[in-house]
Amino acid sequence: MNSHGPGGDLEHRLAVTLSRGTWLASAVIALGLLLPSLTQQGARIVTVGLALLILLPVLRVMLMLVAFLRARDFPLTAVAVLVLAIIGLSLAVGSLSAHHRF
Amino acid sequence: MNSPFELWLFIVALGASALGGTLGMASGIFIVPILTVFGHVNIHIAIAAGIASVIACSCAGAGPMLNARLTNVRLAIVLEIATTLGALTGVVLSGLISTPILCMVFATILVLSAWQMLTRRRDRPANIPARRPRSWTGLNLDSTYPDRALGQEVDYRVDRLPLGMGLMYGAGLISALLGIGSGVLKIPAMDTALRLPIKVSSATSNFMIGVTAAASAGAYFVRGDMAPHIAGPVVLGSVLGALVGARTLMAIPTEKLRLLFVTVLLALAVQMLLAAFGVVRVQGAA
Repeated sequence: MNSHGPGGDLEHRLAVTLSRGTWLASAVIALGLLLPSLTQQGARIVTVGLALLILLPVLRVMLMLVAFLRARDFPLTAVAVLVLAIIGLSLAVGSLSAHHRF
Repeated sequence: MNSPFELWLFIVALGASALGGTLGMASGIFIVPILTVFGHVNIHIAIAAGIASVIACSCAGAGPMLNARLTNVRLAIVLEIATTLGALTGVVLSGLISTPILCMVFATILVLSAWQMLTRRRDRPANIPARRPRSWTGLNLDSTYPDRALGQEVDYRVDRLPLGMGLMYGAGLISALLGIGSGVLKIPAMDTALRLPIKVSSATSNFMIGVTAAASAGAYFVRGDMAPHIAGPVVLGSVLGALVGARTLMAIPTEKLRLLFVTVLLALAVQMLLAAFGVVRVQGAA
């Protein structure tokens, strides 16, 4: 049993999301890097691109959560919720030790 | 790319990711030591850039393996409990460990990775169904994958999940602490503990490392370690390298590539050891 439905419906959607997301984040980063270095604008745009890249796997877990919930697969739904909670906790730990280096 | 340094970062990441991809390694293990030792980048900023490149390699490479039904997404998310918990621990530790110790740990992982590269991964004979009761049967993790050589679907079971989870916790910790994909721990966890077929093991661990890395990358982002002028070019180079590498480098004989890798890994290990003992200067904690 490979996830849900024949041909791996969930797998296909995850593949499309990850590929398009990678392209989007890369395009935003490239745009920021190509702007003149004197402006702060460039650095801000690159930061947005990096944030998109980091959020992409999180979005992937959310998509899986929804798919498991729809299939009434409650053990795996709980697993997905737990993974999101741990990522949230990690962000909280990071913000506790926040500093500004640059 | 405005400065020569940004261009250098881009090229280093492109090369590391193109070469690494052919042997199934994320580029972080090369990028972090090169940035710290040769680029004189602060080690925590290099680690943040390394972990961002790990996400890039994971997401850029996941699509084809998902479509080929090699990735076990159910197993992946279960193991991600362990890897993200490991990443959380790594984030906490990275704030406590001194730079020389960090360099020492890095050197150790480089040597272990070189050693692992020399020992070949082999598919064990098909799992003999031991029919031991398994407490995780309700999770439906066992699956099948299409084997091209045999031209048929191959069934496989997920064995020894608790042991696999333990090793994956370690992999998540090392990944977050050093900014790498930590294949050195993932391979024993997936191949040896869970006894997965190599193709399933590679596809599933590539898929998982993105989420694992997102847990620590998110923390380093809000902490202020994700420097756009460093991580930006590194991510771009990694994405491009992952796409280009898989196609063009197939022509190089794997044996030569393997030896090249071992040499590079050991050379970087020496550099990190020199850094640990203060022979090579490395910028550390803020």
